[in-house]
Amino acid sequence: MDERYYDQSNEQKAIQTKYPSINKRFEYLDHTADVQLHAWGSTLQEAFEQVTTAMFCYITDLAVVEPLQTMEIEAEGGDMMSLLYNFMDAWLFNFCADPFFIPRELKVISLDRVNFKIRSIGWGEQFNLDKHPQESQHD
Amino acid sequence: MSRSYNDEQAFLEKLDRNTWRIKKGFVPNMQVEGAFYVNDYLEKLMFEELRNACRGGGFGGFLPAMKQIGNVAALPGIVHKSIGLPDVHSGYGFAIGNMAAFDMSNPKAVVSPGGVGFDINCGVRLLRTNLDEQDVQPVKEQLTQSLFDHIPVGVGSKGVIPMLGKDLEEALEMGVDWSLREGYAWAEDKEHCEEYGRMLQADPNKVSSKAKKRGLPQLGTLGAGNHYAEVQVVDEIFDMHAAHKMGIDHTGQVCLMIHCGSRGLGHQVATDALVAMEKAMKRDNIIVNDRQLACAHVNSTEGQDYLKGMAAAGNYAWVNRSSMTFLTRQAFAKIFNMTPDDLDMHVIYDVSHNIAKVEEHIVGGKQCTLLLIGQPVLIGGTMGTCSYVLTGTEKGMTETFGTTCHGAGRALSRAKSRRNLDYQDVLNKLADKGISIRVASPKLVMEEAPESYKNVTDVVNTCHSAGISKKAIKLRPIGVIKG
Repeated sequence: MDERYYDQSNEQKAIQTKYPSINKRFEYLDHTADVQLHAWGSTLQEAFEQVTTAMFCYITDLAVVEPLQTMEIEAEGGDMMSLLYNFMDAWLFNFCADPFFIPRELKVISLDRVNFKIRSIGWGEQFNLDKHPQESQHD
Repeated sequence: MSRSYNDEQAFLEKLDRNTWRIKKGFVPNMQVEGAFYVNDYLEKLMFEELRNACRGGGFGGFLPAMKQIGNVAALPGIVHKSIGLPDVHSGYGFAIGNMAAFDMSNPKAVVSPGGVGFDINCGVRLLRTNLDEQDVQPVKEQLTQSLFDHIPVGVGSKGVIPMLGKDLEEALEMGVDWSLREGYAWAEDKEHCEEYGRMLQADPNKVSSKAKKRGLPQLGTLGAGNHYAEVQVVDEIFDMHAAHKMGIDHTGQVCLMIHCGSRGLGHQVATDALVAMEKAMKRDNIIVNDRQLACAHVNSTEGQDYLKGMAAAGNYAWVNRSSMTFLTRQAFAKIFNMTPDDLDMHVIYDVSHNIAKVEEHIVGGKQCTLLLIGQPVLIGGTMGTCSYVLTGTEKGMTETFGTTCHGAGRALSRAKSRRNLDYQDVLNKLADKGISIRVASPKLVMEEAPESYKNVTDVVNTCHSAGISKKAIKLRPIGVIKG
């Protein structure tokens, strides 16, 4: 996806140059009503991390989010698909409601493929309208 | 099923200029036939979607709307037909713009959250004023700015109306009655609102605490995506009698249209229900063609819980629209230095796009109680294009149980729009048309550009010529605010 920076403020530019750039292994695919997130990795864990990063990149400009705090997220499911869904939903929920946390980067700590459980940790901060650009989210 | 595109044609039949028939067998297990309404241009888009899906290969991809209409026709308990209205395009399980009716007396009948949509009670409210275009044009920029300052928009925005947990519980139960009690709505607002702004079967206990947690900070916000608030001018009146009943009697009259829904709360209610229903389907042996069509028997615990939670989310959306009405009344009052009362800012109508309702209809000569999924009559155009108010018709009642299209429907995906359209170009084109705009997100401007959508006039004219609804009024925007 084209990265065009619309009116990025000086503060935002400063933050972007302060940290190493985000490792992106995903793309957005066409869908008439919404968007498809296509992500990959050298391991399934990495693919899980990347698809969640893709979701947050759609919502704001992650390059401008600072890794100031951490948050741990766990999820489980009945099968692999519901596990992935519950995992992403858990991260999204913590963004939409208190603490409004947005992870710049996240890592899967453990992925149990037999019992469909996952544990992960993210580095980021609380979403702040004055600091982070609003991009898109379809309610 | 991988049939070739040509083989699929055997199951499709063109009945007249605007109507296509989908025969049984198009997808497995169809209980009834499918149908969809289009005009020439919309027809091309539908078939292109189908052709792309038949090509397959690689990764990604999604079910074309035509197949989804078929899959819905395979749901237990469906009666009459699975119908695609002119704005139909691919959605979650159901196509967006897909209507289905289920016979409540059939124990196998199901209810599917995907059919209602994630944004429960996403809908449109139209307000009138006694201002004319010449009153507003000189202060258009300030008015748009005032609206943008009063209404929280976009990703991550929070409501400005003070709310505690207890308030939310009451709002979920009472809908617009809560807004009225708190002084955010006028008593007359209720009368022009679908369901009087309150679905009585709502039960806040069927809304999870996760959903409430998401909903609390978001009450009174516009949201993002295709939600908007627009200052509009009556451009053309097709049906004077219908227009009069709405308090519209001449072109140039200024109105305000608000399009939004239940934000994160509705989204969470739908998600929670889908998860519960996936388990129920295994237990009750319900088989569907598509995992996204997760559903439960209407009379099961999960089905009933969903309907009660959905009604509560619906009430939340009505409170949201009432709150936004309150804020827009304030914004107008500030600019024109008159009270909203003096400006005569009454609600013309408030209609829901994403809802399930129980109604009595005649099916095959027999009176039935039906669960209807899919709704409305206020058609929002895209950013910068016209909106329409339509009225129902007799044919509409029998063919589609009173449902018609809800909007322009997308033509270009969001990703394609972001790639191909330039933010400044889109804004310049709008400025050329004399439309003032304020957006929270530049990227959203491209996704929501008129070029990304089907032509709303096409969609509305198709409804009109298919006889399922009648044009009453056309509105033209002069100020837009978006998330």
